[in-house]
Amino acid sequence: MTRDTAHTSLAEEIARAVETVPGVAFLRPGLAGRLRPTRGRPQRGKDAAPAAGALTAGAPTTGARTTAEVPTTRVPMTGVSAAGVRLSGPDGTGRRHVEIHLVALRQSRALDVARAARRRVEAHLVERFPAEPAPARVTVTVTGQV
Amino acid sequence: MAGVRNQNAPPDAGGETEDSLLTVRAAEGDEDAFAVLVQSHAPSLIRLATRLLGGRAEAEDAVQDAFISAWRRLPEFHHRSSFGTWMYRIVTNRCLNVLRARKPVAPLEAAGEIAAPEHSASPARIVEARDAVRELGEALDQLSVEQRACWVLRELDGQSYEFIADAVGISQEAVRARVFRARRCLTQAMGAWR
Amino acid sequence: MTAHTDPPTADTGGVDDEQLPCGRLLSRVWDDWEQQTDDPHRQTCPHCRRAVLDLDDLEVAVRGLRDETADSYASEATSLTRRVMEVVRLELRPGRPVPLGEPDEDLWIMEAVAARALRAAAETVTGVRAGSCRLLSLSTSDTTDGRVEVRLGIHAPSGVSLPELAEEVRRRVREAADRELGVAVATIDVHVTDLIDTADDSQEGRTS
Repeated sequence: MTRDTAHTSLAEEIARAVETVPGVAFLRPGLAGRLRPTRGRPQRGKDAAPAAGALTAGAPTTGARTTAEVPTTRVPMTGVSAAGVRLSGPDGTGRRHVEIHLVALRQSRALDVARAARRRVEAHLVERFPAEPAPARVTVTVTGQV
Repeated sequence: MAGVRNQNAPPDAGGETEDSLLTVRAAEGDEDAFAVLVQSHAPSLIRLATRLLGGRAEAEDAVQDAFISAWRRLPEFHHRSSFGTWMYRIVTNRCLNVLRARKPVAPLEAAGEIAAPEHSASPARIVEARDAVRELGEALDQLSVEQRACWVLRELDGQSYEFIADAVGISQEAVRARVFRARRCLTQAMGAWR
Repeated sequence: MTAHTDPPTADTGGVDDEQLPCGRLLSRVWDDWEQQTDDPHRQTCPHCRRAVLDLDDLEVAVRGLRDETADSYASEATSLTRRVMEVVRLELRPGRPVPLGEPDEDLWIMEAVAARALRAAAETVTGVRAGSCRLLSLSTSDTTDGRVEVRLGIHAPSGVSLPELAEEVRRRVREAADRELGVAVATIDVHVTDLIDTADDSQEGRTS
């Protein structure tokens, strides 16, 4: 098994796990992931701010509408992802970075949903990689409420 | 739909305040606000596009494209005009482009001398309205793109010369001249039917 | 270029205008007709009357087209709206994320999503319509304190105390930011951008 397919299946596992978190409607799929948002916020120290919108969809980009009029940048595919999940690392410090884009249910508090999603991801990674020393960095962005 | 609109007022008058609010929200990414704007402005814009293009299917495509383009451009929309006027201009321009792409080369001079259509032998002095509309449609097809657009905006949509000049992007004088020529062509065509 | 378009100046010289036997230019006669100027000559001159009659005939022919109301396109409008919104909802607008929770939790919500919840909260105050809603992170060059500044534009009902109204709007927005979102709000600026005449509203009601 190549590293990419291993990553892909891990991303899919994480996506399935997060989708069962109470308050999560679904993970943000598709085209949303291919657009990088304009950012007006400084980065936190050395850690880059979450690349909200920079998730790359695992699916091929067929049927994508032309977005020539939108002032956005196409993001090259970095890391491997399922819809709404992007994985990178482990990096030099042995730390993985997991980014989640999800749509939450309106009746749930967005912060509580985001925290629960992060806990679920952390628990899943500990279970899968008990030998890894450094905890993963998990970024969650609520991209919608339904 | 929010706000009650006066049936006799121009399309925008009653809902202008509400429209400006919804436009701001849509520009900030509120899709529901945009949906309300689309629903309320679509009927008059489809009518406009149908008049300009002659066919409903093509008209709906043009209006749909215009709205999607407007959604993408909304963040840069600075409210110099109302949303309705802005959309009217976008739809007009899109229809002009469709007409320009569609029109086969037809010598401008020929537009003034439309031959009597073969089925126009009706002896009736007063043509039945439906026929007249169809004949008119055929006569309209003989006009140049700009003549047709200016005439439709003036005669069917009742816009001022100033407004048309702005929407089409030519001078008021040029609009007047095109409306005049369109009327000449159409009255001559009408004369031929009788 | 295959399009049949006019050269920019070709039409402006009145090149194909026509002088009627009475000496008047056709363009002038029609112009007067359109502006409904009171002109005794036009009433009596057979050539002018004939020219105007042509336009009247055209007028009759187009009346059916012109009188068609936009309402007859209502069903097309509904299906068109659905098609447009399908595209629009797929296209995530580029936007900024706003921090959720404590500083450095690395949890975020897109500004447009948070703004929707806050606008809805503001509109629970009677007569208030919410417009622009921005959430700005309070941060210096290398720190983010996790709190945001909310800037909200509203249309307020006329005839009420605006300071009290603004305070009530702030209270509900702050509550929604905490209870529904989990966004820490530092300040809420409420701008009243328009006054809504409530008398009209009570007479006509709202259709929304």
